[in-house]
Amino acid sequence: MSRLPHVKGERIDRDTPVQFTFEGRRQQGYRGDTVSSALLAGGARILGRSFKYHRPRGLLSAAGHDVNALMQVRREGGSVPNVRADVVQVEADWDINAVNTRGGLAHDRLSILNRLAPFLPVGFYYKAFHGKRWFPRWERMFRTLTGLGEVDLRATRRTTPKRYDFCDVLVIGAGPSGLAAALAAADQGASVLLVDENPSAGGSGLYARGGSARLADQTRELITKVASHARIRLLTSTYAAGYYADHWVSLVAPEYLVKVRARSVIVAQGAYEQPAVFRGNDLPGVMLASAAQRMLYHYAVATAHRVVVLTSNAEGYAAALDALAHGVQVAAVLDLRPEPGRDSTIRAAELVSTGILIHYGARPIEAVAGADGGVARLLFESASGAAPGRHTVDVDGVWMSVGFAPANALLHQAGARMSYERSTEQFVPQMLPPGIYACGKVNGVYSLAERVADGRNAGACAAGGIGFGAEKARRATVPARECPTHPYPVFRHPLGKEFVDFDEDLQLRDLENACQEGFDSSELLKRFSTVGMGPSQGKHSNMNALRILASVRGEPIERLGPTTARPMFHPVPLSHLAGRGFTPERRTPLDSEHESLGAVWMPASNWRRPEYYAIAGKSRESAIADEVRAVRTRVGLIDVGTLGKIEVHGPHAAQFLERLYTTRFANLKVGMTRYGLMLDEAGVIVDDGVVGRLGEQTFYFTTTTGNSGTLFREFGRLATWWDLPVGLVNLTGHYAAFNLAGPAARAVLHENTDLDLSDEAFPYLGVRQAQVAGAPCRIMRVGFVGELGYEVHVPFQHAAAVWRALLASGSRFQIQPFGVEAQRMLRLEKGHITVGQDTDGITNALEVGMPWAIKMDKPFFVGQRSLQVLEKQSRRQALVGFNIPSSVHEPRPKECHLVLDGSEIAGRVTSVGWSPTLGRCIGLALVAPQVASRKRLRIRIDRGAEVDAEVIQPPFYDPHGERQRVRGLL
Amino acid sequence: MRLSPLGPWFQRFPRVPPEAGAVLRFDDLSLRPRFGCKGPGAEVWLANAGYRVPPEPNSAAIDADGVLVARLATSEFLVEALDAVPARVEPAQRQLTSAACPSSVYPVAREDLVIEIEGAATNTLLRQTCSFDFAPLLERCESARGQIVFTSMIGVGVVAFLRRAAQGPVLTLWVDPSFAHYFWTTLLEVGGDLGRINIVRTLIDKPR
Repeated sequence: MSRLPHVKGERIDRDTPVQFTFEGRRQQGYRGDTVSSALLAGGARILGRSFKYHRPRGLLSAAGHDVNALMQVRREGGSVPNVRADVVQVEADWDINAVNTRGGLAHDRLSILNRLAPFLPVGFYYKAFHGKRWFPRWERMFRTLTGLGEVDLRATRRTTPKRYDFCDVLVIGAGPSGLAAALAAADQGASVLLVDENPSAGGSGLYARGGSARLADQTRELITKVASHARIRLLTSTYAAGYYADHWVSLVAPEYLVKVRARSVIVAQGAYEQPAVFRGNDLPGVMLASAAQRMLYHYAVATAHRVVVLTSNAEGYAAALDALAHGVQVAAVLDLRPEPGRDSTIRAAELVSTGILIHYGARPIEAVAGADGGVARLLFESASGAAPGRHTVDVDGVWMSVGFAPANALLHQAGARMSYERSTEQFVPQMLPPGIYACGKVNGVYSLAERVADGRNAGACAAGGIGFGAEKARRATVPARECPTHPYPVFRHPLGKEFVDFDEDLQLRDLENACQEGFDSSELLKRFSTVGMGPSQGKHSNMNALRILASVRGEPIERLGPTTARPMFHPVPLSHLAGRGFTPERRTPLDSEHESLGAVWMPASNWRRPEYYAIAGKSRESAIADEVRAVRTRVGLIDVGTLGKIEVHGPHAAQFLERLYTTRFANLKVGMTRYGLMLDEAGVIVDDGVVGRLGEQTFYFTTTTGNSGTLFREFGRLATWWDLPVGLVNLTGHYAAFNLAGPAARAVLHENTDLDLSDEAFPYLGVRQAQVAGAPCRIMRVGFVGELGYEVHVPFQHAAAVWRALLASGSRFQIQPFGVEAQRMLRLEKGHITVGQDTDGITNALEVGMPWAIKMDKPFFVGQRSLQVLEKQSRRQALVGFNIPSSVHEPRPKECHLVLDGSEIAGRVTSVGWSPTLGRCIGLALVAPQVASRKRLRIRIDRGAEVDAEVIQPPFYDPHGERQRVRGLL
Repeated sequence: MRLSPLGPWFQRFPRVPPEAGAVLRFDDLSLRPRFGCKGPGAEVWLANAGYRVPPEPNSAAIDADGVLVARLATSEFLVEALDAVPARVEPAQRQLTSAACPSSVYPVAREDLVIEIEGAATNTLLRQTCSFDFAPLLERCESARGQIVFTSMIGVGVVAFLRRAAQGPVLTLWVDPSFAHYFWTTLLEVGGDLGRINIVRTLIDKPR
């Protein structure tokens, strides 16, 4: 491992050294180095420990998938876990440690687990948790031993913004085919967004050179054209992590997430090089050939002094030539095939001319570790070539180039159908959805010229398909000159440790055993063995696992089919996903008034409302009780502006409401209101409110707080469905509303309006439009809380002025603003139900004891047909009232406490509280019919205690409703 | 006293000094004279009242007096005095809630939070807060007419309109006033991350 002299195209800035610490030792790299490249340049081989057995691991892919080289980085602003060393650029003064070690990387105490491997069979987790007795112990042990980096809870919170972006054609992957696709689409007039996960465009065109500058130079020409093209934007260090409907793609940039919407999408993500499976294939120094080439050309780092290249394709020979070009000694090339392919032959001749030995029909037996834990020699045998037979060669590097798996996760997510192509031994798109295109290695195209041609065609098709230039036919894939992928690069060893999945430490026998245990489909094998479920999501293990499964089942791989990686198919920092929080909160126009009055807030749907108004020296309960007393004895004012407020206009308005509600509205007089109960088609209560008739063709009504938006949309749908041309106006946010209630309500309102408030002119349940405190208002004389009351509805911008005027006028009666909790008790005393609290998702209208609100003789209302059926059946439950004579301090039921019938659950408490008016605990409960008919209820309260309650018929207070009609204080 | 939905916010932060080189300017114009109407007779009624009614839904037209008429749907309209004197709007508004209003025209209360946004970072702000692509509209917006966009920004439904003013494109947003505090403070927070911002209040709360 060493730093090479300058390499053309290297990403490092040699004039800017970067000092950092790794595992407590000072290290140096250059600006542009990744953590891994800087460490390797400094001579390190071991970068981390494996997840399960804590085996030493080194560089594998250098492509963002090195799950065994995750780092805990302490830097200014906090500690960051699981930094991917193979792709993240190191910065000055970072203090870096490998994750998942006990006692440090070099002397990890948990490496003892490597020796316990025989006792940790596949599916160990599932088996461990099978029995109850050991469950807690296993849980404790796993929680202690597992996990990767540590979250620093003191770290500065990042409000990473998310962004939206738009383009005509999105090209994912800026390798040769992606570059060509972008140019072709842009040349036809489309705006193109080209993204690549690497810090610079070019892909394998810049590092898989085969010792020649020609390929890299051709790629650079494409990059230059792209950079100067006015219609192409290039985003580097940005990967596409998920595809969603309508061509939405999530892009993960270093600092933020981009949601991009394209009219066409081209997937040119290339292919992941795959490891060979043989004993010791995980030793530091054994790596993918492409990883070694990336190190050579991007960072000028030689990952070994003397290597063996294990190959089965032309790319492996190119890697050997790249090694030679940079002074890395090639001990041998081991070709798994009996003879080289067409492209390999040319490169093989070049290698042989320099004295390199090439073995054919080769088979790796074992990579053996040296004293430092890294690979020191390779045992193999060969059938032909340089010297057939069994060999041992001393090396400090093994480069594997035995095949590829297409990076087609996004295509799967987009709904593409894949087929297995024997000529390339990979899955290729068989059917692509409209607007989705693929090119390059994803299509099984590997030579540079073919990739560029394939990219051009995809770009032209993508642009033509959305109206830029002529629509073009997709190009037929040209058969590969040489198969790039070995059909079964798996080599058993009697002692095992042939790793298939480096994330999860899964060996060949683990997968074979899983199949034998019956988990022998690709989906079952994945879940039982966890293959492909680690952070790299199977990028280096899924294809080999599938090949092993096919081998065990004795079936061709094409009959098994691949698993689909869900979005995000590549790890995304949680800070990116969380981003800046957008949680819309609604406030009434009186919010600042409440604030100044000492409101204690509570959420109500997406609104915030005063729960009660705090008073210095008083408890919450005491403050709420005072508010209740004020309404019962003087006057109170509550903000009910969160109620839904809707108008319906037109000659069919009454008919519309007749159909919507169980109540009758056709005969409602202008200037009067009526309670309305709304059901769904199953007869279940969904909402209630007050409907006022403002004119012959104009109604104004309220809905519950949480339902206004949903119901308004539903009203529009129903009006269309019923073919009733009504005008619907949603005033919920545009109108404030407050309820002035109590014996002095009339006197307070009178001071602020010229309206005649006498019972004769404005009777109970009347509605009027008048000026209040100079503002145009709608006033409904209703009694939800059971006192003389007026609900004043006022345009948003006038609300604060009217509120203040009423408070000022009420001061002589010691007017009391009251909150949601007091209102809940006041309405409970009256026995009024709250939809959604005293009802649930299955409570029908016959179960709540309000037959007066259901007019079954109407021609039609929503839910009527279900009620006609339910009427003939026995009731499932009934809402009953109960009271418990007790002091305020005694333990009492809470909402959702269970009602018991013997040892059986017979219902639940829906509303309960201690009534300051009545001096006892009162409540409502939904109970089974046999319990409803009894005189007493048994309720199980906290800590298993039980209380006895007396069943009584609500209302608990003012049963004849006389107080709503009183003359009141003047 | 009419109070803008942002009245309480401006009471807490009454003096926001202007920033030189600001990339965004936010102006609360909620107190502009405005009304809404809908119904089968609305289009004819508006035309008879002398307004320039746009022929297509989801479009808006501004007449020579500075009165904007936005056609929000086939038969729903928003009328607002951008630069016009209130007298160009208020008579029709009064008639709408009086007995003189035709039965086929229904008033629509428009107590909206109205914000105008302009500045070099407008599109960047929109890209962080809205999934609709405003860039083409920013490029081709005109001074007297344009497209109305119904979309969602930071989780809140908005009506948006882009017009070209002397200083460049101006984005007007009409928002349910109950979201005013959340919407305003969130936009200021996002905008503040993009550079210096100016907060303006052209119209202040006034006695009726």
